[in-house]
Amino acid sequence: MVTESTRAISPARASSLDQVVRLRADADLMDGCARRLLATASALSGCAAAPESSRPALERQAAACTTAAEQLRAAAEALLAHVR
Amino acid sequence: MRADGRAPIRPGPDEQDARELLRRCARDVVEVAEGIREVSARTSAVLFAPALTASARRRPRTGLAAQWALLRALTNKQGLGGSAITVPKGIGHVLGAAGEVLGRESLAALVAVTSLRLRIAAVLVDHPEFERDPGMRRLLAAVTADRDLETVRALRGLFKDQGAQRALSGLAPLMPELLAIRALVDEDPMNDETGWAPAAGRELPADPVQGTSASRLAGMDQGEGAAEAVDLTEQEKQTIAAEGSFLGFLRNIETLSADGRILVQNVRGPDGVVRYVVQAPGMAPGRPRNDCPQDFVGAWRNLVTADSPYTRSILLALADYGIPRGAELALIGYSEGGIALMNLAQDEEFCRAYRITHLVAVGSPVDNKLPADPRTWVAGITNQHDMVPVSDGRGAGSHFDPHPNRYEVDYTGPSHEFPLCHMLREYIEHLRTVVPEARKDIDEALTPYRGPVVRTQAYRLKDRAHPPEGYPFLTLPTTSVPTTAGPVDVPVRYYDSSAAHLCFPVDAEAARSLLPGVTWMMPSRLGRRALAVLSLYEHRCSTIGPYAEIALSVLVDDLWRPRPYDIAADLLRRVDLRRTGRYVLSLAVGSEEARVVAEEIWGQPAVRTSAEADLMGPGFAVRAPELGLAVEGHLGPGIRFREADRVLYGRRGESTVRTLVRAHGKLRLHTGSGVRLRLETAAAEPMAGQLRRLGIDSARPLFVLSCPQFMVHRSAGAVLPR
Repeated sequence: MVTESTRAISPARASSLDQVVRLRADADLMDGCARRLLATASALSGCAAAPESSRPALERQAAACTTAAEQLRAAAEALLAHVR
Repeated sequence: MRADGRAPIRPGPDEQDARELLRRCARDVVEVAEGIREVSARTSAVLFAPALTASARRRPRTGLAAQWALLRALTNKQGLGGSAITVPKGIGHVLGAAGEVLGRESLAALVAVTSLRLRIAAVLVDHPEFERDPGMRRLLAAVTADRDLETVRALRGLFKDQGAQRALSGLAPLMPELLAIRALVDEDPMNDETGWAPAAGRELPADPVQGTSASRLAGMDQGEGAAEAVDLTEQEKQTIAAEGSFLGFLRNIETLSADGRILVQNVRGPDGVVRYVVQAPGMAPGRPRNDCPQDFVGAWRNLVTADSPYTRSILLALADYGIPRGAELALIGYSEGGIALMNLAQDEEFCRAYRITHLVAVGSPVDNKLPADPRTWVAGITNQHDMVPVSDGRGAGSHFDPHPNRYEVDYTGPSHEFPLCHMLREYIEHLRTVVPEARKDIDEALTPYRGPVVRTQAYRLKDRAHPPEGYPFLTLPTTSVPTTAGPVDVPVRYYDSSAAHLCFPVDAEAARSLLPGVTWMMPSRLGRRALAVLSLYEHRCSTIGPYAEIALSVLVDDLWRPRPYDIAADLLRRVDLRRTGRYVLSLAVGSEEARVVAEEIWGQPAVRTSAEADLMGPGFAVRAPELGLAVEGHLGPGIRFREADRVLYGRRGESTVRTLVRAHGKLRLHTGSGVRLRLETAAAEPMAGQLRRLGIDSARPLFVLSCPQFMVHRSAGAVLPR
């Protein structure tokens, strides 16, 4: 009798793959954060009571979110290469 | 719940769209900040996962590349920021702390600060009067710095500055925001959770500054306090209620509220059982109380540090009073007294010894606290315009109700202006007229305590762990002097003031014509000229409350034996030996109590006026629209001047009143070229006519003496037979 066994994935490797998935999801989340910050900056544009510095600050922080998203994706790819 | 059974709703009918928009945006932004923080935390966890570290050792080529990519994502200052690493211990914790120390703030913290800026703006829409507050001005100067990093650093500097903390202690409306900012900009990333809680509308998990756990905080609530049984005065005994009732207890607290005492009473209830009522007063904004833990600075300290001698002192007082184990207690507290009593109700050991049946807190920030005994009936009374009750993290911009089952009355009172709306007498009046149903409900709940009072004992609480405010300069024997505004302790002490004295050479005859019509009072002459002084003060904290002051005075000679050059010789004498002084021609002050004190104790002709003063920086401004007076300018570099002590003269009836003013602070002498006085009124009274007659209504001062921060005390006026 011939038995076939699929190559089992070790728990550590499965956990690392989960981390890759989570990093990618977090990168998407950071993109979403950037969009929300830009939307807030836009909503504040007509509000005289808003501090003057808040709009440019929000735009700066949105840009940082986008950068963070790219770097998280890069980290996810590097981790995936390591796990394989 | 409100007295009418509905949930409290903070916004009033006059809420503005701008405020709503700012609050909504602040909420959105803080949610984003929380999301970023969670991403940072998850990424940190991946980077420092033991499995990754182990596998990177086995396969360093790909492993180190993965670790490097994760580290880069976490520390890039164009991305998540330098201190985005949030790991509780080990190398990750060190790296996170190092990032903050090096000034590379995490993106999450920067976004949260933006949210908090918006929340501050929302609070200012409702409370524009806070924009004039000196603490707020310093805070806004920090928060509105052009660059985020500068803001964070400025805030960090502000929170480390002891002088600024005194100014910030007046900012009750923004206490949650300040605590959040303080925790977020702290150099220890482990404190961040404490900062996030108020920002995200969660209950505070820990002490706001130290980031310690609540249990550790309770353990540290061992600040050295003391309690001494004291007798009430005969006058006080007459005002202490003989029957137990809610308003009676509050009136008792009002009777005590001047000098940091608490009251413990035995009350025989309708069922014949003797129960105990503890009544604890709070703090008065801008009024420190020597060596007692109940002043506003103490409240700030109690709120933001783990040291709470007030609660400890109450425990000592109750131990001295001799309450039998198992006895029933009702705790009635106002303002900071409510917090201290709630801290007591949280003490499990105390609750095992005694049964706290009721806790009623008026104008107190107790929302984030729960009594140890779940059977304790808790009631909170707050005026929506009183911002002290929001200082526990549930701010004016917050939107959550942590204890829906608690009896809460959050009403809209007629007093809008802070601190008036925080005064206990206002609360008592509102409970009589605005929310009588709340008084009825609480009285009903307090039925077991509504009977004859069989014993009353007052305790004076002491705070031995800290020197008295202003020690040693302002630690003086005092005497109580009756005035029409109530008894006033003299010397009047000013704990935190700024001043600028604008000195103008004026025509001696013009000055003489403004002095009282007596032959022996002559202006001191400098050559052919006399010297008039326009003194501008910003008193942020004094025993008669915070207020601004504008005084016009003329230097006068010795009242008995005037000699030439007296004024020069007097500069070398101690203030108590001087014979010359400044006769106060007119005085404008920002509070009624200050006006009464000036008129009745110092004999100075005073009017009450609204005034804004900002005298702390080199660029200063004072505006008194009702006087039509505006002074603004920029002081250049100055030289140290010997001292700021002075003698002031006033008149009461046919006598002259001499007041000694002693100051402690660094006085500087500047040229007056950068200062401009503008008089924008055609009226003659109260001060404008005198300024015109002296010819200084549009002149520049010859020189200016300034002191951005100092302490001062003014003696009771000595009546001279002149």
